[in-house]
Amino acid sequence: MMRNDPIKHVFIWPAVLVVLAISIFPLIYSFTTSFLSYRLIPPIPPRVVWLGNYASLLQEPRFWNAIFTTTLIAFIAVGLQYVIGFGVALALNARVPGERLFRVALLLPMLLAPVAVALVARMIFNPTMGPLNQFLSEFGLVNLPFLTNGHWALACIIAVEVWQWTPFIILMMLAGLQTLPEDVYEAAELENASAWQQFWGITFPMLLPISAAVVFIRLIESYKIMDTVFVMTGGGPGVETETLTLFAYQEGFKKFNLGYTSALSFLFLIAITIIGVTYLALLRPHLEKRR
Amino acid sequence: MSGQGLTGLSPWSRRLVTAGVLAWCLITVFPLYWVVVTAFKTPPGVVGGPTYLPFIDFTPTLQPFIDLYQGIRGEFFRTFLNSTIVGLSAAAIATAIGAMAAYALVRFEFKVRFGAGLIFFLLALGGYLLFNTSLGFTRPQALLLAFPVALVVAVVANRLPLPGPVLGNEDILFWFVSQRMFPPIVTAFALYLLYSEIGRLGFQLIDSYIGLTLCYVAFSLPIVVWLMRDFFEAVPIEVEEAAMVDNVPTWRIFFGIVVPMSMNGLLATFMITLAFVWNEFLFALFLTNSRWQTLPILVAGQNSQRGDEWWAISAAALVAIVPMMIMAGLLSRMMRSGLLLGAIK
Repeated sequence: MMRNDPIKHVFIWPAVLVVLAISIFPLIYSFTTSFLSYRLIPPIPPRVVWLGNYASLLQEPRFWNAIFTTTLIAFIAVGLQYVIGFGVALALNARVPGERLFRVALLLPMLLAPVAVALVARMIFNPTMGPLNQFLSEFGLVNLPFLTNGHWALACIIAVEVWQWTPFIILMMLAGLQTLPEDVYEAAELENASAWQQFWGITFPMLLPISAAVVFIRLIESYKIMDTVFVMTGGGPGVETETLTLFAYQEGFKKFNLGYTSALSFLFLIAITIIGVTYLALLRPHLEKRR
Repeated sequence: MSGQGLTGLSPWSRRLVTAGVLAWCLITVFPLYWVVVTAFKTPPGVVGGPTYLPFIDFTPTLQPFIDLYQGIRGEFFRTFLNSTIVGLSAAAIATAIGAMAAYALVRFEFKVRFGAGLIFFLLALGGYLLFNTSLGFTRPQALLLAFPVALVVAVVANRLPLPGPVLGNEDILFWFVSQRMFPPIVTAFALYLLYSEIGRLGFQLIDSYIGLTLCYVAFSLPIVVWLMRDFFEAVPIEVEEAAMVDNVPTWRIFFGIVVPMSMNGLLATFMITLAFVWNEFLFALFLTNSRWQTLPILVAGQNSQRGDEWWAISAAALVAIVPMMIMAGLLSRMMRSGLLLGAIK
């Protein structure tokens, strides 16, 4: 039932106003700034360059490197999170012994500050005094350059992302698993379907909508990654682990290149939108087939 | 429910599954154990290589925490207070106004004409450009002038029979939630510019309580509206209808019946928002510099200051982590099945 009462405006306007003021407002501001050549240090008065900032960004290798790095981190990390998270959720749902204890422990990482997690990771990945080095020394792998070699550093960042955000997938998939109707499985049991067949025939397709939503959320969130990289490598070595947000931060907050950074953030927004729309377009046929 | 999943497997694969979950659990817990243990180490306990067991491998000490409290490396105590104050107030305000908006979206019908939205955007953008370039206002002045004008015109225009689609509640909800999709750097940076220009007009927003809290409220609202909508939808409408028959005003129905009935949901939403604000890094990095610095900024700074003093780093990280650990315990009690499920539909 939908009521109609003028008081509804009192209910909704505070939220609308705050969001309008704090997100649309600056958006317009930075949108117009992105067409200016505007620096604070050294101070140059703003000058209209139209698409000049966008053009120079698109020719900047560092920008493409940041896009590539961010995409790599996001896709690999979310892929691993999904596989591990779904697996653990399945096991927990099937009443693994001690499952209640696991639930609290498994929930923890996603509530912790990424900055603090990255600090802990730095200690664990320390090539001489860290526990991981000690562990790998047993296998003859001594003093690996965890955070000082580009490829290793990327792998470490991805590992931290997986550690921190797999719990989110576990939580969501577990909630999804608990909504599945039992009778379908009983029918499958009568048909003598193996556990493997049951998974691919029933569980996976029925959880596809939730999976799609969860992966989408994680993917979009992963593209924003900044704190973890900021603390673990600072984008280094060189710019090998520099993500888009970190690149924007360097340009905007270290060099105070305002027009350029605004343009960069809008390109970022466009990229995110493209990824989101493509993802949904790719998935739509699979989601609708089931109905 | 596929509760029979494990029994359908052979004993060997059952053991394999249990071992896998156990392994993941160890991976999850080890870093936490490590940081707790390291925070109680003395310098020799760190430099000599990794040690794990207190009293056996090394002698624990409280010195790192005493150093923290005395503010030897940054004013931890005040920063902790800052984080607490900003976190609690932002989460409370966001939950309150977000819940109200969510309730309105569940129970009342809204119609927004697409044309009116377009008018708002074009007027805000055009008015800003006009005020700024032709009439010689400064940029924040131009924005502050253009915004209410555009808003008023758009609200009036919404009553006119404009051509184009009419957007309903679902679209308004989508608009709220889509705010969460934006890369925060877009707004963080623009907000920084805007705040600093407003600061030049004499109203300090950068590194202020109001500026930071306002920004956190705005960025928590999408989650709050999204989560609370599901909790309110679960409230049986018959109760409200009965109250309406008795002519109870809507605001009393909301505060007297609906809010108490969805207390669990409100609490969970409040805690999730609090965790989000407590851990937030990017906005705090842009919008604070000394007085209202929050914990994540201070913790991130520990690293570059003195990289090898692990006992201090661990203690710092622990201060940022422990409140959320306690919350995780509380939350997991509330996380009965389905509590979060509605949120992902």
